[in-house]
Amino acid sequence: MYADTQNDITRQVVRVAQLLLAYGAESELIEEISQRLGKALGLESVELSISSNSLVLTSLVHGRCVTTTRRLREHGINMTIVCELQRICVLTEKGLYGLYEVRKRLARIEAKTYPAKYLIPMIGLSCASFCHLFGGDWQADVITFFASAIGMAVRLYIAKRHFNLLINFAVTAFVTNLVAQFGYIYPVTATPQLPMVASVLMLVPGFPMINAISDMVKGHMNVGISRWGLATLLTVSSVIGITIAMQLGGRFL
Amino acid sequence: MELLWILIDDAFFAAIPAVGFAMVFNVPVRFLKYCAIAGAIGHSFRRFLLHFDFPIEWATFAAAALIGIITISFAKRHLAPPLMYAVAAIIPMIPGSYAFNTVIGLVQLSAQSEVSAELTAFVITNGLKTVFILGALSVGLAMPSLLYYRTRPVI
Repeated sequence: MYADTQNDITRQVVRVAQLLLAYGAESELIEEISQRLGKALGLESVELSISSNSLVLTSLVHGRCVTTTRRLREHGINMTIVCELQRICVLTEKGLYGLYEVRKRLARIEAKTYPAKYLIPMIGLSCASFCHLFGGDWQADVITFFASAIGMAVRLYIAKRHFNLLINFAVTAFVTNLVAQFGYIYPVTATPQLPMVASVLMLVPGFPMINAISDMVKGHMNVGISRWGLATLLTVSSVIGITIAMQLGGRFL
Repeated sequence: MELLWILIDDAFFAAIPAVGFAMVFNVPVRFLKYCAIAGAIGHSFRRFLLHFDFPIEWATFAAAALIGIITISFAKRHLAPPLMYAVAAIIPMIPGSYAFNTVIGLVQLSAQSEVSAELTAFVITNGLKTVFILGALSVGLAMPSLLYYRTRPVI
């Protein structure tokens, strides 16, 4: 294998690892996919060191090592991309893809998200279902629907303007909770507390939390702890938003 | 018979949030229905166990392990990472109301001039439930790969 080819393969493999980490795959999966892809493309071994916002990758062929570092920023979670990368890895392993096809498919990857007109009503319905599961009556479900749909619209609006994620969560929680207090002002429901609980559940950082524990259980301590830290910070900032809204509404204290 | 209706109701209303959150995580459209199926089965299985007076932590653990097994079979069929279905599916079981009560209790505690035993007990019970249910969820989800797929990849 020529040095040029090794450089090129290493570049493609590190690109895969970078995308996986940026779009929210767990560390075990990142390591597994990049090692399998590297071996399928003809590298002898691939070693990875993953941390929360960068990764270092070394590839070895015929006693020649290439080490490269990539810095990355958070992109949010996109399972479509993770899924696509997993598929590229499996197809390469089966011998259907060579370096050329891998490069072509990697270049075509772009992050697509669901449009807001589907996302907003779906999240409203989701939180209304939570409210139903907690035992709320249908009036409470309706309040929850509107509170969380408005909250989701705010969240998408702020996210589009590239504000810090923590500020986004605090403002969203504030707006959502204000709307959810409707049941206290007009006594239409017997369970006015449940909309307040259910509507802010859309802010629960589920993926960072599950990824964090999953990483720590499988031995990737530092990535796991940093993800746990992020999940905690997100929770705290939404609590700040909720608290301000509840004090404004005079719900406690 | 009544139990059956409870379970069906539970499955339906757990499937909606599973799909909603799968959309937030940008799961491809063709996989959304599998997230819904896994979420519905998991949540109604937990309700089934709770009906027979299992403690909620263990019921959650068993339901999460069941979701782990189901999603691995989906993953093998579609060549997609199992966590993609699983995280959306367990979202309805996240202990949201316990977590909410814990932090609201904490804020109220810090606002009071003296520590009240009642409020402290409220915070501690809710906080412990939150932590243990979350732990049960994610360790239960990892169970298949910890016990069965120890040395080989799932796909």
